Amino acid sequence: MPAEAAQKVEALAAQAQRLMATFTRADYEQIAPAIIQPAGLFLDVIGENLRARTYVFTDPDGEELCLRPDLTVPTCRLHLARHPAGDVPARYCYSGPAFRYQPGGPTSAHPSEFRQAGIESFAATDREKDDAAVLALTVEAVREAGLARFDLRLGDLGLFNALLDALPMPQRWRRRLRHHFWRPEAFRAELARLTSREALQARGVPRELMDALDPDRPEAAPNLVEGYLERSGLELVGTRTAHEIAGRLLAEAADARETPLPSSAATLIEGYTALKAPAREAAARLEALLGPHKLDLGAALAAFRRRLDLLDAAGIDTTSATFAAEFGRDLEYYTGFVFEIVVPELGPRSPVAGGGRYDDLLADVGAPTKVPAVGACIHTERLLAVLGGGAA
Amino acid sequence: MSGHLILALPSKGRLMEQCAALLERAGLTVVKSGPARGYKGEIAGLPGVEVNFISSSEIAQHLKNGTAHLGITGEDLLRETMADCDERVTFLHPCGFGQTDVVVAVPAAWIDVRQMFDLEEMALNFRRLHGRRIRVATKYMNLTRRFFAHNGVTGYRIVESLGATEGAPAALLAELIVDITTTGATLRANGLKVLEDGLILKSQANLVSSNGAPWTPELRNLEREVAARLAV
Repeated sequence: MPAEAAQKVEALAAQAQRLMATFTRADYEQIAPAIIQPAGLFLDVIGENLRARTYVFTDPDGEELCLRPDLTVPTCRLHLARHPAGDVPARYCYSGPAFRYQPGGPTSAHPSEFRQAGIESFAATDREKDDAAVLALTVEAVREAGLARFDLRLGDLGLFNALLDALPMPQRWRRRLRHHFWRPEAFRAELARLTSREALQARGVPRELMDALDPDRPEAAPNLVEGYLERSGLELVGTRTAHEIAGRLLAEAADARETPLPSSAATLIEGYTALKAPAREAAARLEALLGPHKLDLGAALAAFRRRLDLLDAAGIDTTSATFAAEFGRDLEYYTGFVFEIVVPELGPRSPVAGGGRYDDLLADVGAPTKVPAVGACIHTERLLAVLGGGAA
Repeated sequence: MSGHLILALPSKGRLMEQCAALLERAGLTVVKSGPARGYKGEIAGLPGVEVNFISSSEIAQHLKNGTAHLGITGEDLLRETMADCDERVTFLHPCGFGQTDVVVAVPAAWIDVRQMFDLEEMALNFRRLHGRRIRVATKYMNLTRRFFAHNGVTGYRIVESLGATEGAPAALLAELIVDITTTGATLRANGLKVLEDGLILKSQANLVSSNGAPWTPELRNLEREVAARLAV
């Protein structure tokens, strides 16, 4: 990256100061997590997609390290260093550089070195209230920085999870569909498989083993698998045990005996993932979809509506916000509410800010139990560009 | 050297011998020359061509940067080095040697994992049980990432392996591997099997032209001459 004009550096610093002033005034403690992070832990929680864009290096002691590709995981680590159980409520804000390799070369909207200003709130028990508070504060910060016009895009993985829970199907199918939610192609393929009796039965497990495996007697399965491997001369090398292999084979045996997902249920799921509407209409549209199935998403829909009400009360105009069920983020760790602030000048692929709820991440980083967490971050170079400051 | 057509050839091993034999049969006899300890050469009877002997993996890098006009190296190394391989180089002639398959291989005892599809779900279970992602040992980090992403497999980590990759699962350094195989014998000897849809690339040595090299009409004529003789 060529050196930045001094003018732009100053403009970014002044902007960061305003953003942090907004955050600290709202009682978010300012922190400065380390830029250099242990690669192993980081790469385990962010997944291979972001890993491919993370600068990883080895220090003279042979330790694998990385330049942080975002500040959320470093903030989780800092929180756990202070509170190993993670369950002490805390609110943090930060401003600092993050680094991502940009395939095809960095651009002004997608630089390889950029500054994030963000907030994270941990262990607050009223989730909707905290979701709304984090979004409202993010909006307040970009407004105070000078951004007058922007569009708000919302999503809610809680609704999707509730829909799957309401439809009768084995728990492992729900887990698979949830897992593939971020990848539309794989998701559609899995849905097609679950609705087809042939596809559920047509797996390559040896007949003798498949017939012997009884989903109602899982305790017998590891021995059956070990016996089969021995008779077939297959040596079990590596980390996985016969127990693990048996677990998946049992699921396959159960799938083969399972009633396929009714095509009406698959149509409903597809109808939901295609749902795109003004946020205030989304709940009613979803209810209309559910009507013929006599399904009720109860608490999840109430939470969705309550969050919108809380946002309204915080001065966010939810009537102009759009909701998209398939609203995708390239980070896999979101688990509930998600949002993005986009501007027409930069387009939907370069949001000025974004965030959401990630209730699994602290546990993935080392907390003994799941800890509620929601956060947001502002892409400060994009914000500055939209505001026309520090002419590059 | 400016004004010359730079032809990059493997500097050692069987690949070097096979390249020399291939060119010889086409009437392009490579003669080592110059003081650079045998790392330079020319082609008898075809002035204007400068041969550089370089390690196979670096040949791809030179073709990518345009510091060689032509080169012979494996398609696996070319595609690993360049994500946009087909834009940066032009494949002129498959050489008929150096055949190898880049494949995804897992322990043969994993009778519950037969396709890439199974891998993703297995990875999910593995993470729940072991608290970490499955590890893939490979020296083909980019080919692996592209192929896994294309197949919707995400729950893994790459562990870079620069030799004896097939031993990584047994040594508990990785759960599975992406590696090259010709007959599959080495994989079998290490208790591994190739996934049914785990063929990433059928590779062989290729004569390749760099799109980014400093070309002149004269050099293009020389390129056509070399390609035409090989094509016979």
